[in-house]
Amino acid sequence: MRELSLHILDILQNSVEAGATRVELTIDEDLAVDRLTITIEDNGRGIPPEKLPNLFDPFYTTRSTRHVGLGLPLLKAAAERCNGDVTLASEVGVGATLTATFQHSHLDRAPLGDLTGTLLTFILGGACDLRYVHRVRGAGERGSRGAGEQGSGGVREWEFAFDTAEMKVELGEVPLTHPDVREWLRQFIAEGEAELPRE
Amino acid sequence: MKLEEVAQALSLEVHSAPGKLDADVTGGYACDLLSYVMAKAKAGDLWITVQGHPNIVAVASLIGLAGIVVAEGAKVEPATLEKAEQEGVPILTTPLPTYAVAGRLWALGVR
Repeated sequence: MRELSLHILDILQNSVEAGATRVELTIDEDLAVDRLTITIEDNGRGIPPEKLPNLFDPFYTTRSTRHVGLGLPLLKAAAERCNGDVTLASEVGVGATLTATFQHSHLDRAPLGDLTGTLLTFILGGACDLRYVHRVRGAGERGSRGAGEQGSGGVREWEFAFDTAEMKVELGEVPLTHPDVREWLRQFIAEGEAELPRE
Repeated sequence: MKLEEVAQALSLEVHSAPGKLDADVTGGYACDLLSYVMAKAKAGDLWITVQGHPNIVAVASLIGLAGIVVAEGAKVEPATLEKAEQEGVPILTTPLPTYAVAGRLWALGVR
């Protein structure tokens, strides 16, 4: 796909279909080791171990589990093309964790794309709480615009994170889908992303 | 135009499903992003790509493509050919680049 955010949305939707009520999405851009890692962890019903390898087989998935479709095989192929991989670990009744890695600088690696739009689509879908962490590490001499700059041992680190469960507590009776809240959320995410060093 | 005629005209090498070369090629599509192919290619199209992963067979069989031309002499994985045989999807290869294959198809009247 043209943007990794489209893959991310696809996988997040798998979590919803697996009955998850909470998903943690972590995007880790480690420029020091030239690695991009996307992790999606959910508390859905999980996948029996003997079925895990089948999920990467486009025929198994297109023929028998319509939810998954070609999503996982396409993501795996995209990762493998960029010296990375996709792994899936799961425990039935506990949840599933998908980890996708890419060589960050690989020419064929699609850009992360419109993360703000992707996150909003998912959050406003309302099916799931989302904890989101986007981390960029070791961006060298790049400007220190990031509010979340931490830095340890000379390696710079930026982070943008939020949790919709915490937002809901703050908002009380007001739903996340309220037009004012929605607009605030859009700006909050767009600004948080903009604070991170560009890819 | 039959796939077999196209294969002869462009000197394409047939790697799978030779029994399906009597398929009618009713159009063409060229792209290496499988999501685009899924969204935009039509049944009966001949698809030109440099991808050789088994996923190309899944896409072709989903849409009902006439066949796949793997261009640029790109390698097709053995697992892909195995699936293509099972699914009856013809895979043809050529050293020609995608642009040249598309140009020749167009000249043959595949539009």
